[in-house]
Amino acid sequence: MSSLGRAWGHLTLPGKIVFTVVPLLAVLSAGLVATIVLFGGAAWDLVQSNLDFVRFLAAATITLVITIPVAFVIIYMELKVIAFMNLRVGPDRVGPAGAVQSVVHGLKVLTKEDFTPTGADPVVFTWAPVVTYGAAVMTLLVLPFAPGLYGQDFNIGLLYFFAVGGLGVVGLLMGGWSSYNKYSLLGGLRSAAQIVSYEIPLTLSVVGLLILAGTMSLNQIVQQQSGWFTDWFVFRQPLGFVIFFIAATAEGNRTPFDLSEADSEIVAGFATEYSGMRFGFFFFAEYVNVFILSALTVVLFLGGWNAPFPFPDLSLALDPGSLGIPLLFLIALVPVIGTLVLAAPFYLLRSSMRWWVALIVGFVLFNVVAGGLTFAWAYVSFDWVAGLVWFMAKTFGFVFLFVWMRGTLPRVRIDQLMGFAWKWLLPAALLNLFATAAAVVVVGS
Amino acid sequence: MTTKTGQHPSADDPRVIGQHPSADDPRFIGLHQSADDPRVMLDDGVGVYEPVPPYPPRTEREAEFYTLGEGEMFLNAGPHHPATHGVLRVVMKLDGERIVDLDPVLGYLHRGVEKLCENADLHQTIAYMDPLEYVSSLFCEWPAVMAYEKLLDVKVPPRAEYIRVLTGELNRISSHLLAMGFHALDLGGITPILYSFIERDEIVDLLASITGQRMLFNYFRIGGVNGDLNHDFMSRLGDWMSRAGSEVMSNTTLLNENEVFVRRNRGVGVMDRETALGMCWTGPNLRASGVPFDLRRAHPYSVYPELDFDIPTRSEGDSLARYLLRIDEVKQSLRIIDQCLHQMPDGPVTAKLPRLLRPRPGRAFAAVEGPRGEYGIYAISDGTDQPFRFRIHDPSFLHLQSFNVLAPGGLIADWMAINASLDPIMGGIDK
Amino acid sequence: MSLIPGLGLARGMALTLRRFFQPKATIRYPEVQADIPPRFRGRLQLLYDEYGTLKCETCFQCAQACPIECIDMGGMDTKGRFHVHWGAAETYGERREESALRRSGRPVPDPAYTPFEGLDVGPVDAILEGFDHDPAHLLAILEGVQAHYGYLPVAALKRISQTTGTWYAQIYGTASYYAHLRFDPPVVAGDAPRSPDAPGTSRPGDASYLAGLGASLTGRPGGDA
Repeated sequence: MSSLGRAWGHLTLPGKIVFTVVPLLAVLSAGLVATIVLFGGAAWDLVQSNLDFVRFLAAATITLVITIPVAFVIIYMELKVIAFMNLRVGPDRVGPAGAVQSVVHGLKVLTKEDFTPTGADPVVFTWAPVVTYGAAVMTLLVLPFAPGLYGQDFNIGLLYFFAVGGLGVVGLLMGGWSSYNKYSLLGGLRSAAQIVSYEIPLTLSVVGLLILAGTMSLNQIVQQQSGWFTDWFVFRQPLGFVIFFIAATAEGNRTPFDLSEADSEIVAGFATEYSGMRFGFFFFAEYVNVFILSALTVVLFLGGWNAPFPFPDLSLALDPGSLGIPLLFLIALVPVIGTLVLAAPFYLLRSSMRWWVALIVGFVLFNVVAGGLTFAWAYVSFDWVAGLVWFMAKTFGFVFLFVWMRGTLPRVRIDQLMGFAWKWLLPAALLNLFATAAAVVVVGS
Repeated sequence: MTTKTGQHPSADDPRVIGQHPSADDPRFIGLHQSADDPRVMLDDGVGVYEPVPPYPPRTEREAEFYTLGEGEMFLNAGPHHPATHGVLRVVMKLDGERIVDLDPVLGYLHRGVEKLCENADLHQTIAYMDPLEYVSSLFCEWPAVMAYEKLLDVKVPPRAEYIRVLTGELNRISSHLLAMGFHALDLGGITPILYSFIERDEIVDLLASITGQRMLFNYFRIGGVNGDLNHDFMSRLGDWMSRAGSEVMSNTTLLNENEVFVRRNRGVGVMDRETALGMCWTGPNLRASGVPFDLRRAHPYSVYPELDFDIPTRSEGDSLARYLLRIDEVKQSLRIIDQCLHQMPDGPVTAKLPRLLRPRPGRAFAAVEGPRGEYGIYAISDGTDQPFRFRIHDPSFLHLQSFNVLAPGGLIADWMAINASLDPIMGGIDK
Repeated sequence: MSLIPGLGLARGMALTLRRFFQPKATIRYPEVQADIPPRFRGRLQLLYDEYGTLKCETCFQCAQACPIECIDMGGMDTKGRFHVHWGAAETYGERREESALRRSGRPVPDPAYTPFEGLDVGPVDAILEGFDHDPAHLLAILEGVQAHYGYLPVAALKRISQTTGTWYAQIYGTASYYAHLRFDPPVVAGDAPRSPDAPGTSRPGDASYLAGLGASLTGRPGGDA
């Protein structure tokens, strides 16, 4: 015992963790294998008989989890892009070029004190960020990322999107009201008034598109835009696109319409009294909203997952299974040979380079090349990879646009905001609707 | 959220006024019974700060201000509010978001500089001048040394006067750049302030190479300046002057034509000529209201009569005019610097003076045109080496008093635009 | 604002996008340190001469000129007679304790050795009464004391410090700055204290300044001085 205890005492903290976790994992895996062997058939039958429910469960889990890396990426993008536009360097201490800065921000928020101010309504105060975040996640469920890659295909997908997306403001209002702070109250009411006003042009601006598309299912709307990029709805509904984008900016509380958290006027708006992870949820929800609104713009007007031109139908006549035993040799030998081949020029041509440095360089290069080739193969072979690439590229283009606007524009005033919505956007949206309807009637008849 | 006069908002709120658990705890009986006990104070719902003062109203104005009408509420902005340019506190009476009335509360940065100066000898007081307007320190030193030179009847060498004008105009540009940047920041634009800071950093480095400090220069001396121009300064100044105009102007395209920015400022905080004069406004704010009053021309001092420059004026008198006028002034300052460099004579930079200065009994007032208006120093000497009375006249203080004229009727966001365009510095206001 | 709506916004957006690709202005601080300007005055430093001796003579001129009174010093005077110290007694009292002085290698004051001779301070009090115990007239007081005693006795300086509330080191600094003030009796033995012709007694330090001030205050606004 004493020798065992002494050995344990000599271990460092990582060592202790490893020596605890590895046996635990071994036991658990053994148990899992045993369970699958014993009850696997019955469980599989259960899954088979409830496939829809299981699929929904998986989709919901994935959409919930996917928001976190998405928010991290957008936060990092915002930090870095605005810094570059300000002629600053931005975060560059944590990770390569500050890449994990937003993750560390998240951890910081997580470890901060979760504080409820005196006089706040604790129940509403606690639930407000949950409502906002939940609304954001729920809208993500109907977005088609790629062919066959979506949470749920509703035939009323767009309606569901607007209905659930509007719930987010309830969370802001709850947070603003329950904080027992006048700044919070002003922020909450501002965001409520703003979103009530901008929901109308936002919804009306897509009605023309709906007349053209004839469906509310986001999947089908995307499918109708396949082909060349001229088939995208942005070229058939330019006014609708502009109105939609402006209204979406206001809907997402982004500059120049970020009145609900106008830091120079009402401190932090509805989030003034929030701290810790409750603030973190508000913060995350904002960035998830940016992603969702960009994604929706892409889906509705910019062809969703479609490439801007019909991709030549390449199919790689390569079936790895047909190689048989040589496949194993290939898997075993190609990395080694590739690394050596790529390392050789460095070692031979640069006398100052040590052999092991050259090997490392070769290994990295080989991984880059192999990764690129694998990606190209996947892009050609699978529709959903190609679709996801285009979808994400377009979406992050719009995210960049949002960030760019944040880096450039000042904030509008509340009465100008309202006046703009009711005096300009709403008539323009109605005009767009009537023009589209008239065109459909004239052309269609 | 409405309250009656002087009554705490949470007085009838069952959520807030709860007995502290320790009140019933037998272990705590007999403890925490004093009204001063922080734990007892904590029970009284102090978590929500109410701007109503705890004492009964002392003046009619106070009684009127702290009585709320139907649907009105108080909003306490500051002293830690992000847009109050320091530690200004403003109690606003709001109807929705519309400001009905407001009351600036000063004194959070009061250091008693005037009294400190009356207990220091003449040289030492110059160091106290710097932190008054920390973004334009030279303009606070300047009237002080001018007043002492009047008291002592000292003739300043012409080279020293030229150096004062040169460094002063550099400092004016840096101050205006900062004002323009913070104007945008208060309206929500985060980028212009950083562009301003890049140019300001250049100027501040330039001044540091001759004064030794980047912010609180302490450079002017009675009868001259502390040290001649050096090679480092001259080469970098020439470098900067060759591109300053284009850099500053290209940065202003971010705001000057920006619809959002223009709409936020046009017609906001309009001040007419007569009210501006009645409110004792000076400087760019007065000139934006159409009064071409500039001390450099109206009461010429130093070598300004020998220099050729214009006094830009605008007639609108709104926040936008005040912002644009600062850009015009930057251009004029660049002209003045150029002329200073060409006309600067050779010679000493300090008058010969004894180390311990004892002016004859008397008094003197000196004023200069700073980036915010007229900075003045009124000094009385009783024949000792310390000033008998030392009065600082600061323009920001007088601009601040017009909040009650400009802001009511506008929105909270308008108040940000007004405050930013008046460009007050709390260090000088609270003294 | 331009005629075409949105053109101003677009130009601003174009500017920020151009800046996005320009070199950055940030100084990466721990790796790159900013230059300290040649005339930087932010650091107090004691200088040594070429023989390795401290150049500071404990003249207190720097401490006296420091407006925020952050300079504090102590040392022996030039004759090695007594220890002088700059700083408020209540603030720096612990530094005058025996143990602190012994640790710092400074001479330890011992009340058994009287550092100065006793003196009849009646005349000093009379002079101070004439100046209303106002330390602003320190030079005139010192001149008056010298005029009475012929030199500045340490006991008289201590008395001035005690009654006016001025730090002893400040009085010492003032007295040691002027050439006509001396700490030792004049070398010519036997002569009586010189009274009327000491320099400095005719300066506007007494009641005349009030008259002058009053006259100037009734004068033309704007100040003629």
